[in-house]
Amino acid sequence: MLDQPQVPIAQRTNPERSFREEVRALRLGNGEIFRGEGILAVTKAILQSGVAYVGGYQGAPVSHLVDVLVESQDLLDELGVHLETCTNESSAAALLGASINYPMRGCVTWKSIVGTNVAADALSNLASPGVIGGALIVVGEDYGEGASVIQERSHAYALKCSVWLMDPRPSLPTIVRCTEKAFELSEISNTPVMMELRIRACHVTGEFVAKDNQPPAISRNNRLADPALHNYDRISHPPSTYAHEKLKVDVRLPAAQRFIVEQGLNELFPGERSDLGIIVQGGITNVLMRGLDRLEVEGKIPTLVLNVTHPLVPDQIADFCRGKRAVLIVEEGAPDYIEQAVNALLRKRDIDTRIHGKDVLPMAGEYTAEVVTEGLLKFFAQTANDIDLSRPRERFEAARAGRAEAQRLLGGPLPLRPPGFCVGCPERPVFSAIKLLEREVGKVHISSDIGCHSFATLAPFNLGNSILGFGMSLAAAGAVAPVMQRRTISVMGDGGFWHNGLLSGVASSMFNRGDRVLVIMQNGYTSATGAQFIPNTAGNRRDGETTSDIAATLKAMGVKWLRTIRTYNVGTMLKTLREAMSTDHAGLKVIVADGECQLARQRRIRPQIAAQLKRGERVVRTRFGVDDEVCTGDHSCIRLSGCPSLVVKPSPDPLRSDPVAHVNNGCVGCGLCGEVADAAVLCPSFYKADIVQNPSWWDRLVWRLRSSVIGAMASG
Amino acid sequence: MAKPITILVGALGGDGGGVLCDWIVAAAHSQGLAVQATQIPGVAQRTGATTYYLEVVPTPGAASTALALNPAIGEVDVALATELLEAGRMIFNGFVTPERTTLIASTHRVLAIGERSAMGDGSFDVGRLLRAVKERSKAQILFDMDQAAEESGAVLNAVLLGALAGSGRLPIPEQAFEAAIREGGKAVDANLAGFAFGRGHARGELAQVVREHHKRQAAALSVEDLVERARRSYPAMSLDIVEEGIRRLVAYQDRRYATLYLDRLDAINALGSAELLRETARHLAVRMSFEDVIRVAQAKTSRERLTRVRAEVRAKADEPVMLTEHFKPGIEEICAILPPAMARRILVWAERTGRLGKVHFSMHVRTTTVWGFARLRFLASLRWWRPRSFRYAEEQAEIERWLAVIRVAAPTSIELAREIAELARLIKGYGDTFKCGLGNYRRIVAEVVEPALAGSLSPKTATDAVANARVAALADPEGESLSKTLTAIAASSTMMRRAAE
Repeated sequence: MLDQPQVPIAQRTNPERSFREEVRALRLGNGEIFRGEGILAVTKAILQSGVAYVGGYQGAPVSHLVDVLVESQDLLDELGVHLETCTNESSAAALLGASINYPMRGCVTWKSIVGTNVAADALSNLASPGVIGGALIVVGEDYGEGASVIQERSHAYALKCSVWLMDPRPSLPTIVRCTEKAFELSEISNTPVMMELRIRACHVTGEFVAKDNQPPAISRNNRLADPALHNYDRISHPPSTYAHEKLKVDVRLPAAQRFIVEQGLNELFPGERSDLGIIVQGGITNVLMRGLDRLEVEGKIPTLVLNVTHPLVPDQIADFCRGKRAVLIVEEGAPDYIEQAVNALLRKRDIDTRIHGKDVLPMAGEYTAEVVTEGLLKFFAQTANDIDLSRPRERFEAARAGRAEAQRLLGGPLPLRPPGFCVGCPERPVFSAIKLLEREVGKVHISSDIGCHSFATLAPFNLGNSILGFGMSLAAAGAVAPVMQRRTISVMGDGGFWHNGLLSGVASSMFNRGDRVLVIMQNGYTSATGAQFIPNTAGNRRDGETTSDIAATLKAMGVKWLRTIRTYNVGTMLKTLREAMSTDHAGLKVIVADGECQLARQRRIRPQIAAQLKRGERVVRTRFGVDDEVCTGDHSCIRLSGCPSLVVKPSPDPLRSDPVAHVNNGCVGCGLCGEVADAAVLCPSFYKADIVQNPSWWDRLVWRLRSSVIGAMASG
Repeated sequence: MAKPITILVGALGGDGGGVLCDWIVAAAHSQGLAVQATQIPGVAQRTGATTYYLEVVPTPGAASTALALNPAIGEVDVALATELLEAGRMIFNGFVTPERTTLIASTHRVLAIGERSAMGDGSFDVGRLLRAVKERSKAQILFDMDQAAEESGAVLNAVLLGALAGSGRLPIPEQAFEAAIREGGKAVDANLAGFAFGRGHARGELAQVVREHHKRQAAALSVEDLVERARRSYPAMSLDIVEEGIRRLVAYQDRRYATLYLDRLDAINALGSAELLRETARHLAVRMSFEDVIRVAQAKTSRERLTRVRAEVRAKADEPVMLTEHFKPGIEEICAILPPAMARRILVWAERTGRLGKVHFSMHVRTTTVWGFARLRFLASLRWWRPRSFRYAEEQAEIERWLAVIRVAAPTSIELAREIAELARLIKGYGDTFKCGLGNYRRIVAEVVEPALAGSLSPKTATDAVANARVAALADPEGESLSKTLTAIAASSTMMRRAAE
């Protein structure tokens, strides 16, 4: 690929992900059966609810909502729904401002907790005046196994802003009903509604009976002649804000609580044990139900499923608890907001039901099957010794003993598989260069950021001192740089640059005359979230033209020391880094490390190459290899690259016991291994192979001539 | 409600675990079975481990009130793994149990980054994995699905689906799975072939395809007399290594050099330990065939190399392949093949002027062109000159010192002598890696072996200390573990001396 021309940033277009099936599902009409994942069901439900606008910022596990709609432009045009692919969550939250003045339904989505943090300012200013059109925020909860963000609860935001929080039971009909009811709840109580969906719920498969999509009354297709009349009450500014605060508690809260009860948003599963009960967050109902089944008491314990976790309805809770000896609250995460609230409201009503929760269940961490089972065993042991749990307990203990035995057999922890850069990733060479730089100048303080490049903090690079949030790496070096003898390096993706880095980082550093180095990974997409477009991608999804160029933006902001370097040239990258670290220029030094996301690139070129081959056109395929006879098995190339296609295999040499390096067929020929071997002066084992597919008669002739001469010269 | 059949899938990103789930879900739907799947897909990138969890209600039309989204320990009926370590992970986490779980897994290994980046062999013990697989599951279907996929042109997930269908653990006929693959509409033929392969395997219809380990042809060199000499005097258990060493060194240099190898081994053989002889013979052959540019050129211009490379990069018979080699010799590599006196003068000059280790000549040689090949061939033909070169002289001296230490240690403790022989593993690679390895080796000899031979450590302690130091030297390239280990050894030997006093 080093020899192949790089696609300039302005031509990196649609990565050709296809959501054809999903788009079809969004068109289903009355009575048809929808089949698919949870997050797609939510997308269908908002169209059924007549939304006028949708927006969001990508992040697992909710990226899909906007991604699918981006490809459903025809459908959105027909309905008149406006779609805004926001550049951060703050912008998405502000989008809901449309529903403050106009009776339009809107839905935005982002990943929590991080996205909610970014959105917080707009969220408060939205919640204060409230809405007259239904406003729904779908937040993806990245909590527990596989989570990639700090572990905090979105619940806190719901409490402090007075927005309502739904946590639907993860079954598609329930998720869809909750989505539809969320808009009504929002309108009846003039309050935005958040709906949290955990990873497994977003990806859970299932089915529901679809309804027709509803075109919104006010829309792109049906525009308003005049803006809303000026009404100072709708503005989040004093003295209106004093009135808003009272409205929240005096009017909106009771309206919401009435609606929750009338519509039966929370579900009551009956059971014969009138002395016991369980209150559970909707989202973890299935874990609880299976846990009860495991203990052979399923269907026996009355259970209140809170599909709405804020606000609670005191009467509903009190009625449920009244007359019971003990009630268990199954509430995931810390602090235990629901448990505290239930205890307080029962105390005020003098109901002496014993509340269990975080005393038998852990305060922190995911509520997995095992955790909940253990909690239930403790709860029943303390409250109902008439239930015989000896058999389930034996089974549970046996399973645990079995696991201990398995771990003994395996003899210690298994090697971890931390996420790493993809085969041929353009960001890897930058970190190879930084490693080589550190050999020369010593260790450097590296301020890392959110994005694929944060994988550099893991093996084999182990580079990075802190991560402060998305687009924050330059700002996070603000007080480190002045106390360091060597300059600091901040790494930021182009996603992070547009999300926040431009203002929080670059503007602030310029303004404060910061003497720092910033490396911007310009790969053209927010790749870690599934290759969405950003302002410097060619594919603005509408017209294929780049909106904003990073280098031009930086120049306009007054950045004087600016280099754009092709990432795969490790030697040049190293030279440029060296220069940035040592130049007399005291201000901000920015290196734009340019290289297209390899995943996106492969998605684009693979079908093109397949078509070329089919037509019989000449195609040169490039890949790299290692001569196992020359490789001595020290693996320095792997430590400087970590490419998944650079693997090890047993040495074919009977005299050597250490495995040798090997390039497998996943290689896309990015050339980094050769570059690193060259820049780091590693070893002569690497070779590049250009395989000419559909060779021309000339290719063949030259090849034959050469082969015959070389064959005669070769040794046996 | 009938109890659902629970299925846990452990995969690596890019293995197609999501598509596998889609197929199972579609096949279950076609039979009117309630089914639910969910996933923890990890990150979008390709190296992380991912898990998928499915529940299938075995009775058609049965209600599905609360299918679980999380697997529970001891409650998994079928565990599928696209790779052996991932099977191990499901066992480690307690999901796979001998009471209940059918484990269907590929036996191939994809090494994790920590295993790959070790400086020696860092891979997890496969024996332990296989033992856990056998003892901790109820039934097993194990074969190399990676190879099966390769042979059938499919992705591994189709082979795995075939194995699941063939296992008979789901009340879903195989036609339903095939229909699901067809409905998916992607690479249908290849996936059906992979499916058939997997299904056949699960039913034991196909014999386990044993991976053919590529054995190099013994070079047709006239070495019978040397081999015969070794056979006459050395114990049988060392002969395969010694014979390989003879062949290696004749090809590397000449018969005389191989004779020198045997002469050196005679002195080790006289120490009376077959195991010591075997290990020394192994490392001696590698050390004597040190990597200089002549050797690299020899390897890169051998006839079988082009054939091997063509196979490795999967070039079809009529496709020309163009090769570009990456070389970057520095002053030291060039001096290596000069006469010792001249080389030393240049090195002193280069050291003084700060050019040593800084100046390199980047060369991209195209070995599939006549000119490029001829240049390397010329370098390879310099073999006759090698014994007059600087590097040769240095290496022989270093080898003699190493053999001398082994000979001195052997009368005290054969184990210690073996550990010293094994230390040669540290010396490998090129450029900085080589220098660093050699440096580590010399440090260990100076700080552990020599004090031990002088009597400051008991033979047993010394043996352990050398082994620990070797492992530490291979643990990290920065040498931090080695420094720590050496400090600890020094401390313990001081304590011993004090105790003795």
